[in-house]
Amino acid sequence: MNRRAFLLTATALPLSFGFARLGHAATPLALLLPPWGTLTKDMTDKYTQDTGGTLNIETLGWDEIHTKIVTSMVANTAPATGTELDWSWVGQFGAAGWFDDLSALVPADVLADIPTAAIFTYDGKLLGVPYNNDFRVMIYNKAHLDAAGAAVPTTMDELLAAARAVKAKGASAYPIGLPLSASEGAATAWYLLTKAFGGDLFDKDFKPLFTTPDSAGFKAMQFEVDALKEGLIDPASTGLKDNAVQELFKAGKITFDLAGQAGILAVYTDPAKSTVAADAHAALVPNVSGKSRSFGLPEAVGMPVSAENKDQLATYLTWMLTPEVMVANYKTLGVLPTRLSVLAALGKDGSLREGEILAAQSAVAEPLFAQGTPGWYSEFSGAVQTALNAAAKGQIDVATAMTQIADAAAAAQQ
Amino acid sequence: MTFDMPTWPRLNRDARLGLALALPVVLIMGALVFGPLVSSLYDSFFRIEPMKPGSPFVGVKNYVTALTDPTVLAAWATTGVYVLLAVVIETGGGLAAALLLHKITIGRRWLLAAVVLPWCLPPVVNAIIWGWIFNPSYGLMNGLLQASGLTQGNQVWFNDRATGLVLISVVHAWRMMPLTVIILLAALQSIPKELYEAARLDGATAFQRLRQITLPLIAPGLAIALSQSTVFAINLFDEAWILNGASTDTRSITIQTYMASFQNLKLSLGMALSLLVMVASLAVSAVYVLRVYRETRFE
Repeated sequence: MNRRAFLLTATALPLSFGFARLGHAATPLALLLPPWGTLTKDMTDKYTQDTGGTLNIETLGWDEIHTKIVTSMVANTAPATGTELDWSWVGQFGAAGWFDDLSALVPADVLADIPTAAIFTYDGKLLGVPYNNDFRVMIYNKAHLDAAGAAVPTTMDELLAAARAVKAKGASAYPIGLPLSASEGAATAWYLLTKAFGGDLFDKDFKPLFTTPDSAGFKAMQFEVDALKEGLIDPASTGLKDNAVQELFKAGKITFDLAGQAGILAVYTDPAKSTVAADAHAALVPNVSGKSRSFGLPEAVGMPVSAENKDQLATYLTWMLTPEVMVANYKTLGVLPTRLSVLAALGKDGSLREGEILAAQSAVAEPLFAQGTPGWYSEFSGAVQTALNAAAKGQIDVATAMTQIADAAAAAQQ
Repeated sequence: MTFDMPTWPRLNRDARLGLALALPVVLIMGALVFGPLVSSLYDSFFRIEPMKPGSPFVGVKNYVTALTDPTVLAAWATTGVYVLLAVVIETGGGLAAALLLHKITIGRRWLLAAVVLPWCLPPVVNAIIWGWIFNPSYGLMNGLLQASGLTQGNQVWFNDRATGLVLISVVHAWRMMPLTVIILLAALQSIPKELYEAARLDGATAFQRLRQITLPLIAPGLAIALSQSTVFAINLFDEAWILNGASTDTRSITIQTYMASFQNLKLSLGMALSLLVMVASLAVSAVYVLRVYRETRFE
């Protein structure tokens, strides 16, 4: 073989192998998900075993996923075939027309089993199929309450009394865990407390309902500021995000994760991940009206309009919604099933931690915005975060914070 | 009627080589810098918000917002503070470190490697490490201050705006100062030793030698160092974002731009803000360079 023939053969052989492989191997389904939605190796292997397909999951932080979707979609490309779609992004991405209608990909009976799907419906289109049934519930450390001789609080006054008792006994220096940094977690905690004080953020015309001192939103923020001043909330909370509060609970530093994620109980009660596994329990969110309230913050998988290999996502969604996969994801990731039938089955066989409480809280979990998440939610939320943070630092009073939030909401709606 | 075809000057071999060598840079800069710049400038006169239908012409409205909105003005002011603090810390500290390294003859390369280390860290990693140090509950800073009896109880450093601004500037300067050190050290090493020997013979003190010989002769390097310090401080993002999030106390203009563009989807406002940031960077750098150029012209 002369030199030229050798070089030609050496170049052609690997190329022909490469093209042959490309022709036969199925393209993996590209997914962009947050850490808590990223499947374990066992589960991705199971996906291959069940469907014959493969998954290519890119894991990013929640904030970064939003940025990546925005930058990709502005450039008319899709970051992945299936991406995280948070409840709070629905109005924004729906108005932008960036996500496909998935209603044809999910059987009607399965969809009827997922009430949170309504939160992902924009202009009659199902923009995301919910996979994480997040709502807020109060999580407490029973050992701390027992040490203080306090009962599980059901009202906001009882909550304050229990926190004071725990602090007095020294079981926890700062019993109430609430994030107060300029972050989304701090804003969502305030939304929850607004409902706990018996109110809502906006009326049906999106007019603010939190500006007067007798309103629930006003009382909720005043509660946070006063509890901070009284030493019931860690002063460092002005710099803490919700995941940092979770770390404090796991370390036994706080008694109440007041705006606890429903699914986090699986982590709090896991001795390998939490120092208070035996003492972590859930209770209904305290209230002032005798009726506990909460709101849903579900997460879904959506499909950008410019995505490739769209047919593969249908297979994944069907697989993702099977009871077996939902149960496995709850046990490994703490992702609470979105199908009511699966949730009920988990509760019945005792696999669901605090199943009765979660079921009861889930039954009263409402959407934050009855009209659907508006496109201007992000600007509103940003104003809540900064005003709440400034009020907690004592830079402005609660009345000023409320005015700032209301002004920002009005400006964002224009 | 006849037309004479224009005749192009014939290029010699060197000119053709020069053009060929310059062509990649021209193409890359055109495609990646000037093209997007012109496109952004054009788009900034329209309302480009994916959530709203259409992209109507809005004239200078985005620029008016960028220069009058109270939140944006606060971010400009915060950025001004960052620039002032970072440039002072980086230039003062960098010059001191460069003079020290210039004096040291034994183990200079190891010291230089140690000094350069923070510069090698990605800004996010740098900010996360300092975030641990400043953590109110378990941070090293509180621990050291309490152990030495200077403070009692945990301090929440970012509850005070002034403290937050200083700390973020320090974190940024800690990462960027090595670049200033390298630039100034290179400039120091180019100064002929004879000048110092002559000055000593004339009885000049150390301060006089610094004032009369060192500073004028490292002025071009100083201009470069000042320019890069300023540009990086104007574009400060990671440190402020990671250490104190979106808090208005420490929100820089680049964070404001990010929030306008990618959180609120007001893309054309973001473009206007970005262009103003670029103009500010260029203007300040031009002042340094022109001033130093005037002071160091010897012809």
